[in-house]
Amino acid sequence: MVFSSLLFLFRFLPAVLLCYYLVPRPLRNFVLFLFSMIFYAWGEPVYIFLMIVSILVSYIGGIAVDAMKRAGRPKAAKSALILSLAASLSLLAFFKYADFAIGTVNTLTGAGLSLLNLALPIGISFYTFQTMSYTIDVYRGDARVQKNLISYGAYVVMFPQLIAGPIVRYSTIEEELRSRKESIGEFADGAQRFMIGLAKKVLLANNAGSLWDSISAMTVSEIPVLTAWLGLAAYTFQIYFDFSTYSDMAIGLGHMFGFAFPENFNYPYISKSITEFWRRWHISLSTWFREYVYIPLGGNRVSTACHIRNLMIVWLLTGVWHGASWNFVAWGVYYGILLVVEKYFLNARLEKLPEVLRHIYCLILVMLGWNLFVFGNLTESMTYLRALFGGFGAGFMNTETIYLICNNLVMLVCLILGCTRIPKNLCTRFCIRFEKNHPVMLTAKGLFLAAIFLLSVAWLVDASYNPFLYFRF
Amino acid sequence: MNKIQSFGVTIIFCILIFGFSIVTLFSPDTEYSETENRTLAQMPSFTLDALLDGSFESDYEEYLTDQFVFRDGWIALKTAAERASGRTQINDIYFAEDDYLIEAHTDTFTTEQAESNLEILAQFVELYAGEFGAEHMTVMLIPNAVDILQDKLPAFASPYDEGEYLASAEEAVREGASGAAADADADGIWFDARSVLQEHSNEEIYYRTDHHWKTLGAFYVWQAWAQSCGYTVPTLDSYEITTVTEEFEGTIQSKLGIHTVADSIELYLDPDAPSYTVEKDGSGEVLDSLYDYSALETKSKYDIFFGGNNALTRITAEADTGRKLLVIKDSYAHCFVPFLLSEFDQIDVLDIRYYNQELSELISGEGYTDLLFLYNASGFAGDTSLTKLLY
Repeated sequence: MVFSSLLFLFRFLPAVLLCYYLVPRPLRNFVLFLFSMIFYAWGEPVYIFLMIVSILVSYIGGIAVDAMKRAGRPKAAKSALILSLAASLSLLAFFKYADFAIGTVNTLTGAGLSLLNLALPIGISFYTFQTMSYTIDVYRGDARVQKNLISYGAYVVMFPQLIAGPIVRYSTIEEELRSRKESIGEFADGAQRFMIGLAKKVLLANNAGSLWDSISAMTVSEIPVLTAWLGLAAYTFQIYFDFSTYSDMAIGLGHMFGFAFPENFNYPYISKSITEFWRRWHISLSTWFREYVYIPLGGNRVSTACHIRNLMIVWLLTGVWHGASWNFVAWGVYYGILLVVEKYFLNARLEKLPEVLRHIYCLILVMLGWNLFVFGNLTESMTYLRALFGGFGAGFMNTETIYLICNNLVMLVCLILGCTRIPKNLCTRFCIRFEKNHPVMLTAKGLFLAAIFLLSVAWLVDASYNPFLYFRF
Repeated sequence: MNKIQSFGVTIIFCILIFGFSIVTLFSPDTEYSETENRTLAQMPSFTLDALLDGSFESDYEEYLTDQFVFRDGWIALKTAAERASGRTQINDIYFAEDDYLIEAHTDTFTTEQAESNLEILAQFVELYAGEFGAEHMTVMLIPNAVDILQDKLPAFASPYDEGEYLASAEEAVREGASGAAADADADGIWFDARSVLQEHSNEEIYYRTDHHWKTLGAFYVWQAWAQSCGYTVPTLDSYEITTVTEEFEGTIQSKLGIHTVADSIELYLDPDAPSYTVEKDGSGEVLDSLYDYSALETKSKYDIFFGGNNALTRITAEADTGRKLLVIKDSYAHCFVPFLLSEFDQIDVLDIRYYNQELSELISGEGYTDLLFLYNASGFAGDTSLTKLLY
């Protein structure tokens, strides 16, 4: 189930809200757990067993680690941790990477092994990282053991962040799982965040996506340079708006149930370097890798060679985390190299450049990164790259380019503005100008939220285009 | 947010979420959408198997979308909002000059189906060209409005060039003809309807809101074809042109949901036409008109021609020409066939999509003298049942 669907908005969400607020507090984790299981099972009920196994493995792992630590047996605790992590990772490896491995073996050796063709369990990369963070945090003493299976299960399968993040570390919401106080203020914050996120997803991301789809469906060798860049820009917008609004909706829903999830995106496209970009893009994933891979490997407090090795390991893993195929490996390595180069060579030089050049430098590299990311294989990426730089001699632009820009002009302006702080700053000014409770302010806000919500519903009813991008994560 | 604002936002959110939920739960389901001209998804029946394999879930979502309250209103709202944002192409439909809604057919002609239909066409021509001879066999594909009315498209719009596909179709016909046993002359088989319509592109030859051509377009093609066949060449003033409705909103309008300028439908009645009878699918029920006026009471008013799609319709006319024609066609032929009454004693109109017997048997059994293959170009490219032509 995805948030941007009539099913979620008008069946699932009202049902879960009603049950959640009608039951007494002690039962609320149970309600969340139950509904999240339904959310997860919808469409692929078989994988509910996988979810239960994932929960049990890490739940028991946490208890075992804790018990060994209390018994003063650190080595046994470490073994329990490794065992639990290995179990979680092997589920992930089996369901996500088995076919990739088999395919690679086949290509290298010509073995002709048959693929498993398993449907990727939705959200497996996200919740596996969450369960791992729990057992590691218990081992490190950063979190207390959770003995209540329902509460722990609710953490793992919690539907707001289940399928597309943010990746919430257990320690972040440990207290809220034990006792939280929902409030109308928090609920309203959440509802507003959710409605704005929904509208951005349905009205902006989906439309950017259909522009990209129409350009990527063209014969690549006939795409003029400007059209190729317009297409790549459309995808650049699509992936950001799609992904960040999913986090917005997740965070909003979290607030409605009394949870504060971490922020996941912070205007990534206004970055002036790749280093800055990755501080602003998918923050919860970068944080996870920093906490559980980069720092344990020694981070930057090691020799230059080891530091470069650490960076490359983290970025290789980041790439593979996004999907089981070579283009994601390439995408990860691409960023690994860029970050190493910036760290050791470029950053100092970049700072001397005018800001606008630094923005352009960063955006172009990010877009070229998406060119690696978006296609299922490297050959297609390379072909499209050729079109981007006029390698096919298809000209700089044609009438179709002009038409595509004209037809999407308003949307493109909205997309560009939406990547900056401008709309938010305008809102803040508007709020200050009309004192907070001024009736004009209240009416304007109410009308605005209702209008964008109704428009979103209109787009969903027409339902011609509503993709979900993260099925490979 | 302060307290008053929080209350406000919460109330708005709850009204929207719970309000629509309740309304959708209790609004009655409809079987059929007049606007969209299709049956809507119904509540799927629940079985454990269906739940486990995921089909219940996807069926339920389809049901929810199809039966969502004010469905037409939502679609209209979306179109209106997109128009307001300055778009001139929505759902692959151009908002063209003179209130024309024109389908772009972006992907129609580049599919594998479109390719393989050309091969089928070549084989079909090869199969029958020898038997009928080039003078008695005609293949015509009628281009879409997007091709003929290019001048009306928004500035810089550059849709797929349908001429390219029609050229390949002509090539396929030639290839088939040259492969045929007898001396079939390819030039005689392919009829270039495109050039005829291009000459009249500033006239009312396509509907503004529907994917069909208007009777006037059909007339011009008939006139040119009659000339090439050596039939009596008709003139416009030999018909009583009757406007039967001015409130026709066709299939393209349905896809957008908003109301633009409605179309009129004209019948071209020939006072000198011989009397004729119409029989559908050998039902024994004999009609005395090709026009089904009751269709004017429905949304799909184009069905006034032939009463809509039907597998095999037999028209017997007292034309006394000794000619017997088989028309293999899609619905573009519906306003074309009435022009043929005075030239043939019998006209069998076949829609291969709905015909489940062998075509070769029909042709050998009936002893037709002439064969006309008439499809709309996009209808032809997308048709999935053309292999039946070869049986």
